[in-house]
Amino acid sequence: MMRPSQIALTTFYWAFIVYLFLPLALMVVMGFKDSNFIGFPINAWTTRWYVQVFQDTAVLHAFGYTLLIAIASTLLSLVIGIWCAVFLGPARFWGRALVFAVMCLPAVIPGVISAISMRIFIRAIGMEPGTGAIILGLTIHNVPFVALMVLSRLGAMPRSQVEAARDLGADSLVAFLRVTLPFLFPSLLGASIFCMLLSFDDFVRAFFLGGYQPTLPVLIFAELRSGMSPAINAISTVVLVVTAALGLWAERGTRRLKGTRR
Amino acid sequence: MATTSERTGNDAALIRPQDGTRGFWTRLTANPAYRQASDLLLSSDRRRFWLLAVPALIWMFGTHLGPILTMIRISFMDSYPPTAGRIPEMTLENYLLFFQAPNYITPFVRTFVYSTCYTLLTLLLMYPIAYFLAKKLRPGRQMLFLLLLLVPFWVGEIVRTYAIMILLGNRGFLNIVLMGLGLTSRPIPFMYTGFSLGMGLVYLTSLYMLLPLYASLEKIPRNYLEAAADLGAGSWTRFRRVTLPLSKDGIASGCVLVFLISTGYYATPVLLGGPSTTVFAETIAGFFHVAGDKWPEGAAFSTIMLLASLVTVGLFLRLLGRRRGNLLG
Amino acid sequence: MHRQSTIARFTDVTKRFGKNVAVDRLDLDITQGEFVTLLGPSGCGKSTTLRMLGGFEMPDEGRILLAGEDVTRLPPNRRDVNMVFQDYALFPHMTVAGNIAFGLELQGHGRAAIDARVSELLELVQLGSFRDRMPDQLSGGQRQRVALARALAREPKLLLLDEPLGALDAKLRGQVQIELKALQQRTGKTFLFVTHDQEEALTMSDRIIVMNAGRIEQDGTPEELYHRPRSRFVADFIGETNLFACQVRGSENGQIVLDWNGILLHAAAGSPDGRTAVEAALRPESIRLTTGRPDQANALQMRIVRRVFKGSRIDLDLEAQDGDARLKASADPAAIEDLAGDKVWASWDPGRLAILQG
Repeated sequence: MMRPSQIALTTFYWAFIVYLFLPLALMVVMGFKDSNFIGFPINAWTTRWYVQVFQDTAVLHAFGYTLLIAIASTLLSLVIGIWCAVFLGPARFWGRALVFAVMCLPAVIPGVISAISMRIFIRAIGMEPGTGAIILGLTIHNVPFVALMVLSRLGAMPRSQVEAARDLGADSLVAFLRVTLPFLFPSLLGASIFCMLLSFDDFVRAFFLGGYQPTLPVLIFAELRSGMSPAINAISTVVLVVTAALGLWAERGTRRLKGTRR
Repeated sequence: MATTSERTGNDAALIRPQDGTRGFWTRLTANPAYRQASDLLLSSDRRRFWLLAVPALIWMFGTHLGPILTMIRISFMDSYPPTAGRIPEMTLENYLLFFQAPNYITPFVRTFVYSTCYTLLTLLLMYPIAYFLAKKLRPGRQMLFLLLLLVPFWVGEIVRTYAIMILLGNRGFLNIVLMGLGLTSRPIPFMYTGFSLGMGLVYLTSLYMLLPLYASLEKIPRNYLEAAADLGAGSWTRFRRVTLPLSKDGIASGCVLVFLISTGYYATPVLLGGPSTTVFAETIAGFFHVAGDKWPEGAAFSTIMLLASLVTVGLFLRLLGRRRGNLLG
Repeated sequence: MHRQSTIARFTDVTKRFGKNVAVDRLDLDITQGEFVTLLGPSGCGKSTTLRMLGGFEMPDEGRILLAGEDVTRLPPNRRDVNMVFQDYALFPHMTVAGNIAFGLELQGHGRAAIDARVSELLELVQLGSFRDRMPDQLSGGQRQRVALARALAREPKLLLLDEPLGALDAKLRGQVQIELKALQQRTGKTFLFVTHDQEEALTMSDRIIVMNAGRIEQDGTPEELYHRPRSRFVADFIGETNLFACQVRGSENGQIVLDWNGILLHAAAGSPDGRTAVEAALRPESIRLTTGRPDQANALQMRIVRRVFKGSRIDLDLEAQDGDARLKASADPAAIEDLAGDKVWASWDPGRLAILQG
């Protein structure tokens, strides 16, 4: 039934899965170690680190802060991303390729350069590092992804939909709100989840653009610089669970949505 | 229901209260202020186009190009942020600085060499996976298997980097296993080396290689391979002469993405690497931790890195025989 | 007595796409209450003409008038016409009722009035119980009826239909054609219909406008187009035709005498207009086949060389005795039952032989 190449590839796949999940599994496990030091062997187990996570105000603040920033930048990215996608649209106009390239730019610039240029930029426009700067930086980075996802879906919409709406008396705005947006909904859902994840996971921008209050990744980084401890594992595991759950829920949501809508 | 008036404009909206309450859209479109605004702004294709274009272009050119241009501008100054009462002069000093000391050039070269190597390594690792997903699985299962691969990537670079640290530490999993198997009596210092850095980067960027590869392999129609087999090509030949060339776009996109992303990491090299593996990102960041005066140097170094990255990518794509097109698809 | 008024008028309308002239200096009048069809092959400009009336394309030159008002530059939502699209374009996220109500909601009516009108329209297209269904739960034919109801909701001056029957299977299409025609007559609305299917056009239309390369080839009733085509294109496009290349010999008793390779024929349709060499067209079913020589000016002795059974008709290929001339005939199977052997006389009424214009 299975040819040797098939067996080899399947084995390779599962080996890679192990490679991907093993470190994460270790990290989760290590969070139950009853000791102040990270490392094997684990001789005693405890849940105190996890209890501590939920009581540590610094962690809770960072978590809430990160969530707030993620939501804010996602909303902004959605609006701007949709606007850019509708502007670029399936239509051809002179210079479209150039505009498209400029639009994709933030997604392809190396992270540290993007963050540093933003740092300089906000100084130049008189903004201080902090919440606003992080939200701006994240939004700028995420807009291309939203725009691309929306563009893709937009290309699948038959032209006659909007024409029919206009024929029946709708001006462009009403046609967009009542016909195009509902059609775009699955891609908007996917895009917003994607933005949330990107924002939640981001490090470089929060690091260089942040103010006094750290986001969760920045907090974990700072802790790691002073040494590893199971407390960090606990925090990291919570982050892992939240983001994995968010991602999975989103996948199921988009899958089901794409199934029922045309 | 009465007929509308004889005018073809069809904007004779009859308001008859006994017809029932009017819905939101009805009220909106019947509102004279709205109709005026709509006629003014939305009635012609050209107006609509410019209405959309102006804010979008302002945003895109302002926020996508703005920071880069500002950075380049700063890189030519001799001091920034500006001190009161003093006009900064334009200078090339900051760029020359780069060439003057080995502790600037070395990380730079190292970054590019490392990134290139890790990119190729990632390509070699991910190609079989992508091939497996695209060619050896039924479409329904492809989604599931792909999803499984995606899950670890949602977690974020810091958490994943930390996880690698636990794997590779002196009392980490790998060492415990090796010692347990009797392959070594003392822990091997994996951490803070090129090996740990490489493992981390490959770990973090594999998805960016996988997805473009998968997308391009998936597009290759089955019957191309069937036709080749029909004409007498064995599996290796089929792979070499049909599959591989047709996946060129995916290889190009994947490599470019992984290369650019891996040169851009800051936290991972800091956490997983050591003094002997300092990457250029760290060098650049160093200029910004000192308050104020070293920004122009940092800006210059960033510009150098950006240019070098673009040139490298350009050369790579040229080598592959493609013009720079849509990188993400 | 009904006053026939012009409801739409195209004056010298031209539309170009790049270098391609899709519509070339079109002049067209549409009268209220008629079922007009624009007929022609792909790329002839019929859809473009329709879309220009709907407001989805802007003419490069010329004017379009709707009930006397110049609508040339008006956007679609400001015109009192509505369209049934080729793919129906039903809004997938709204119910049938929601789709039909869409246009009404933009006309300023209250909820109660809208609901009443929607019910009225659903009855009209016989979809009364489908009110709350979603479009993806409907069959093709049902979707088409919803699209129709939706387009009629705002009581437009003119209804535009862009090849709306293309996606239906043959049997359903035949039914829908009849229903559509009945609906048009019942409501008295003006329908402007676009199709490339000449049978469809013949079935439904009060008037057919045949278009080719952006121009009008002929404009007339189905009868006129069928039996008195004015150009070779029209003769060829609609149904099968026999074409005779003839010399004009003069006229006799109001009929034109033509010389077809030595055989004299009489034509009573069309006119040579001073030409000496003309083409004449004859429909296959206009040819009567008899065993003995009929009392008819146009009669030729021929031989049946092939029969093709087509169900309700039999198509025959006829050849002249000396093998030179060939004709196509189409007969009722019952009518040729009595023919003995292959030798027949083919004859036809001069009124069925139409001289084509140059």
